[in-house]
Amino acid sequence: MSSTKRYWMDLGDLHQEPGTIKGRENEFRQDLAIDQVIGEASFGNANTGRRDFLKFLGFGLGAASLAACETPVIKSIPYVTKPEDLVPGVANWYASTFYDGEDYASILVKTREGRPIHIKGNPQFGINRNPALAKGSVNARINSSILSLYDNERVKSPMMKGAEGMTAATWADADKAVAAGLAAAAGKRIVILTNTVISPSTKAAIAAFQAKFGPGPATVDPAATAPAGGVGHIQYDTISYSGVTNANLTSFGKRVFPNYDLTKADVIVSVDADFLSNWGSSTEYTWQYATRRNPDMPMNRHFQFEARMSMSGANADVRVPLKPSELPKAVIALHAHISGSGAGADAAMMKATEGAAKALMAAKGRSLVLAGSNNEGVQVLVNSINSMLGNYGSTIDLSGTAFKQGDDAAVAQLVKDMNAGAVGALFIAGVNPAYTLPNAAEFKAGLAKVPLTVSFSDHADETASLCKWICPDSHALESWNDFSPKPGHYALAQPAIRPLFSTRQWPESLLAWSGSSTNYHDHVKATWQTAMAAMAASMPFEDTWNMAVHNGVLQAYTPTAEVAVFAGDVAAATAAAQKAGTGGGEFELALYTTEAIGNGQHANNPWLQEMPDPLTKITWDNYVCMSPTDVERLGLNMYLGEQAPASMVSVKAGDREVVLPVVPTPGQKTGTIAIALGYGRGENGEKVGRAACVTDHNGDWKPVGRNAYPFTSLVNGTVSYDVLNVSVTATGETYPMAITQTHLTDMDRHSVVKETSIATYKAGDKTVYNHPHMLGVHEDVNGDGVINAQDKKPVAEFDLWEEHPVENVGHRWGLSIDLNGCIGCGACITACNSENNIAVVGKDEVRRSREMHWLRIDRYYSSATTKETAKKDGLGKIDMYLKMEVPEESPTVMFMPVMCQHCNHAPCETVCPVAATTHSNEGLNQMAYNRCIGTRYCSNNCPYKVRRFNWFNYVSEKFGEVNPAWDDLGRMVLNPDGTVRGDGVIEKCSMCVQSIQAGKLAAKKAGTPVQDGAIETACSAACGTGAIVFGDLNDKKSMVRGLSDSDRSYHMLEEVGVKPNVNYLVKVRNTEEAAAHHA
Amino acid sequence: MLGMPLVARISERSTGLLHATLALVLFLFSAAAQAQPADAALYAQGEKLFKGNCASCHKPDKDLTGPALKGARARWEGKGDIYAWVKNSTAYLKTGNPYANELFAKWNKSVMTAQALQDAEIDAVLYYTDNYAPPVGPKPPTDPNPEPGTSVSNWPWLVVIALLLLIVGISLSGVKRSLTNAVLEAEGKEPLPDMTTGQKIRNWAWHNKAFASIIGLFIVVFLTLKAWDAAWVVGVYGGDEVEHYKPEQPIKFNHTLHAGKVDKGNLAINCQYCHSSAEKSKHAGIPSTNVCMNCHQAVAEGRTPEGTKEIAKIYAAVGWDGKAYTGKPEPVKWVKVHNLPDHAYFNHAQHVAVGKLECQECHGPIDEKMDVAEQWAPLTMGWCIKCHAEKDVKMAGNGYYDEIMARLEETDMGHQELKKYLEDEKISVKELGGWECSKCHY
Repeated sequence: MSSTKRYWMDLGDLHQEPGTIKGRENEFRQDLAIDQVIGEASFGNANTGRRDFLKFLGFGLGAASLAACETPVIKSIPYVTKPEDLVPGVANWYASTFYDGEDYASILVKTREGRPIHIKGNPQFGINRNPALAKGSVNARINSSILSLYDNERVKSPMMKGAEGMTAATWADADKAVAAGLAAAAGKRIVILTNTVISPSTKAAIAAFQAKFGPGPATVDPAATAPAGGVGHIQYDTISYSGVTNANLTSFGKRVFPNYDLTKADVIVSVDADFLSNWGSSTEYTWQYATRRNPDMPMNRHFQFEARMSMSGANADVRVPLKPSELPKAVIALHAHISGSGAGADAAMMKATEGAAKALMAAKGRSLVLAGSNNEGVQVLVNSINSMLGNYGSTIDLSGTAFKQGDDAAVAQLVKDMNAGAVGALFIAGVNPAYTLPNAAEFKAGLAKVPLTVSFSDHADETASLCKWICPDSHALESWNDFSPKPGHYALAQPAIRPLFSTRQWPESLLAWSGSSTNYHDHVKATWQTAMAAMAASMPFEDTWNMAVHNGVLQAYTPTAEVAVFAGDVAAATAAAQKAGTGGGEFELALYTTEAIGNGQHANNPWLQEMPDPLTKITWDNYVCMSPTDVERLGLNMYLGEQAPASMVSVKAGDREVVLPVVPTPGQKTGTIAIALGYGRGENGEKVGRAACVTDHNGDWKPVGRNAYPFTSLVNGTVSYDVLNVSVTATGETYPMAITQTHLTDMDRHSVVKETSIATYKAGDKTVYNHPHMLGVHEDVNGDGVINAQDKKPVAEFDLWEEHPVENVGHRWGLSIDLNGCIGCGACITACNSENNIAVVGKDEVRRSREMHWLRIDRYYSSATTKETAKKDGLGKIDMYLKMEVPEESPTVMFMPVMCQHCNHAPCETVCPVAATTHSNEGLNQMAYNRCIGTRYCSNNCPYKVRRFNWFNYVSEKFGEVNPAWDDLGRMVLNPDGTVRGDGVIEKCSMCVQSIQAGKLAAKKAGTPVQDGAIETACSAACGTGAIVFGDLNDKKSMVRGLSDSDRSYHMLEEVGVKPNVNYLVKVRNTEEAAAHHA
Repeated sequence: MLGMPLVARISERSTGLLHATLALVLFLFSAAAQAQPADAALYAQGEKLFKGNCASCHKPDKDLTGPALKGARARWEGKGDIYAWVKNSTAYLKTGNPYANELFAKWNKSVMTAQALQDAEIDAVLYYTDNYAPPVGPKPPTDPNPEPGTSVSNWPWLVVIALLLLIVGISLSGVKRSLTNAVLEAEGKEPLPDMTTGQKIRNWAWHNKAFASIIGLFIVVFLTLKAWDAAWVVGVYGGDEVEHYKPEQPIKFNHTLHAGKVDKGNLAINCQYCHSSAEKSKHAGIPSTNVCMNCHQAVAEGRTPEGTKEIAKIYAAVGWDGKAYTGKPEPVKWVKVHNLPDHAYFNHAQHVAVGKLECQECHGPIDEKMDVAEQWAPLTMGWCIKCHAEKDVKMAGNGYYDEIMARLEETDMGHQELKKYLEDEKISVKELGGWECSKCHY
């Protein structure tokens, strides 16, 4: 079938904007600024003649040879007493758990010679484990957290606030000061403000602290005029879910964040809940969702209503863009559809939600409605809908999770009490209220009035720098801890390294101040012993403990799913929802968190800052997402690129203002804008970590992005992330953006991405949705006796070169990438960074197309208008093409991970003048860095644009601000089994050849064939959705071979005939249209 | 040796022989001269039993974990039943024997393992320890008085001769010139102009252009070749062409003594006893000091006083005061001998556990003549891949290679490939991809 759908990368591409197209012609758009380099080294002033130059040259050569004659003495210092389980050169993996209040995952930590260097999901245990694939799902923030361990800006000892700012102190000083402060605080409120604590042992430590200093109310009754004394524990989620938990309290009498099971949901309707990215317990939802996106199994159907194109929206089968003010009304309408009574529902919304409602009704008990709103009324309505659909007990379990216990009302009351001078001591752990609270200024004022303020932060961040004491918590990888995310599910975190600095885990500090001298490990163990005794476990405790340390997880018992009768007040909820949707202005602002930065606590991580956003592909910035229609209307810059900066606008809501660049984002609802939270850390010069502040294009050292938290507000006791009336005015200034997908992308989109609908796929004719590329030949192929245009052969049968002997010869490593499984999260990118020592180059270099990522995720938009739909709608040819060029209000999106395709007929290999890139008989396209002389011919000749050139020595002061390998501490994260490439050489995906070699060696030593799944690349191990599968294509029983032979399998740019070892599986959408598309 | 009188040369040879003979005689004599016990059979039986049962805690003549056993019977005389004590010390302690309890207290209350020995056997052990005489180790037949210059090559003589010839040559040319001038003067012609040496050479070369060009060419070619050869071994510290890298180590550990053959008086410890990670890891590993202590906790004395001093360094490193660990270790800073460049990946396990290479194939006769470890092989890429081309893969009995072979035999293409491999009747490492870049560079 001919190409009917048009795919585009960005608006410049869609409209064939001349500047964009011209800029795209050169892969390496800008040459190395030689003048700049020479100028910098003050070469220009030198008067070096030719003779002098030759002398230098000769001397250099001689000196080099002489220097080489003297063997450098390298010391090698073995252990005095080698730990039994440590073999130098062999990695040890420790099962542990990641939890930072935002994300939760059971993980494995790879250590080499005692240094943690890599994190992946636990493939055997944990709620984030995809049992079908035996892979642990993690996101980019989790696997990047390894780097934050080696941040030189961490607080290295207790710090005391004095007249000259923070000064280092000892733990003895800190303990003494805190004891004195606590004694002085008697009679006033003592508050421990934390993120949601899901650790039983930490809760026990808080309880011990409360026992010592008198228990206080957990939440404070706002009505009480004189707050009681004693120690209160207040939990605060940076991104609040109070609306959800409060709604469950009023609906079911239980303040809980529910336990969702997406594997059981045939229909998912999400109203602004970005559950594939950040909402709720997303490490679970991603794998659960992916198991239902396999077209060979019953596929789920996903509806998404939202203003901004989110990752969930990009993956949805049906996406309906709505304004933030319309979203509560959509929930009301949905409720009206399901309940059958249309009271109070908006007619337009009734229409918009009709399809979703129909699908939900058809899947009662097998569906799920989620809402991202933090409005209690909206959430009560959602509960009511789910209850009517009978989803409780199947897709929703009210035995619940321990997540998201934050209470916005209690935090608001605390701020009031602080300002009233009623708080005697405040301990802050895991949260940064001075940066994230809607009323941060009020909080800061209150903080000054609290006599004893102690932060447990590991950085002197916005809040910690205002506290009287910082008693730094150890990094998670230096700590023991336990977690119980769900009833019966216990998990342990174990240290993978001794504390690098003089830090102490914050619950241990609490224990110390309660007069206990137990270390936290013993405390955790004792807590478990008590808990296990209460459960009357059959195994001796020591065995249980050892097993839990080994596995990282202990499933003590399986809770029975709780079903409760909905008892919420629908009328009141409808009224509240109605109110939440009232007052929309010219522009409505939706605040969101990005996949990389999240709520901002990891904004100092350079890997995350350099990870392109899944949708906009922008690095190192936050910005105003605006619909292209509005961008055009306001006359702002539409086509962004290296030389085409974005327009700056001032966004105002009341007295709150932020100035940010505007990025036209297809899919954004017209009349709405969106800004990411979590940026603009360290605005007042706080030391928040390596990459949170960098030198910008003007040479000023500034925070990355701007802080949008001031736009949040407290509405009806919960934090609202929508601002319904903002003004947007252009400032007339421009701002350069570092966008990756304006460059380094393929020659064209012919046969790059392929997609079809479930109906077409189920019809079973492969040639319809995945036809091979044919080439006319001068022989009678079809046997009709004539040689004509109908005589064609598949491209795969043609060869320009002699074939490499790879089929059945040894191994043939390959990847299979399922476009249905890829949700675009980018965990593979950061996993690759960590495994392969990939340099971080910083915004300016990314802007110049010089990012070093070996793996990128291309994102393509497509319009729904096709030749078929145009015909159906009766459009003329000209109209049809015009329509195809209009950016849809909600274009469909495809994500496509692209790494080196390891072509068997690699065009790069034939052009290398020094044979630095060659083919292995295992199907790998090899790159020998030491041979490379940097001609970049290979990169020019690569149809996939996956080769990266080291323009500079990135391990240098110039890149010290962003590149972790620059300082001695940051260097600890490097993988010793890979090299750090120098300047002037090309690098690219090696398919983690170091892991392949290690896996083969293990097999040879064991004397067995390499087992399928025993070797994983960093990307495939990080992919919990199973979109990336690695294996041996010569192993007929391997999963990757099965996928490669399947009907959906195709090679990118098959027509160029390079025969890659990476194949892609056609995306199948669960939509009703039977049209097949490929472009 | 040139220039040395013939007699001296003969004497040198015979001195060596004489010394060897002398050493042999001395050795035999010393062995014979050892205090021979009266009952050799009983002594031998006792020695065997002692080494089998007692030696881990006792020495015959020195205190170890337990007391020296020499004179033990005498010490026990009249104080208790030594036989009962040896057979089951715990039980004997319970009898309340004061001497036994005193001993127990004196030796840190460490319980002596009960020994299943007959009285006669205990007698044999005690006989052995009482009559024990420390062995006189077969001292290596060192040359007590090495002849100076014997090992020096004869190039200095050549230089002397060359210098002499040069002087003679210069004198002769001076004589020739004087004669010529004399003749010229006699003939009434101008004498030869006074020229500097450089002018003379230039003058000569001008008159003998062809000859000078050829010589010049030879010199240039010669120097270029020399430079070319020299460039190949820049940064190479092993192999046949350069002096082996042999850094001085903080502890003069003697590989030959530890790993050398028993029949040469060495200890023949398996290489991997110390370098245990060689079959598990990419690194063979320098043993941690606690591995040294496995033996050296008992072996405190070297064969020479110098050796004892070196052993003392281990104690300093591990923090051992002769009886207990002090907890104050001072890690040994060894100097790395084999330095591969960072861009080359080498894995010991692959070569030792899978390739089944002997350590000596790359590390040379480390167990024969390397008192100080040195880099034997050049460790150049040429050296690596030469071996990869020659060595066959050790496939027998390895399921991994069975699978590789099965795959090859399954298809025509594979079969063709296999046939190519087997042209030389073996499958070399190279043929299975051992010459590919990404096997060592990534």
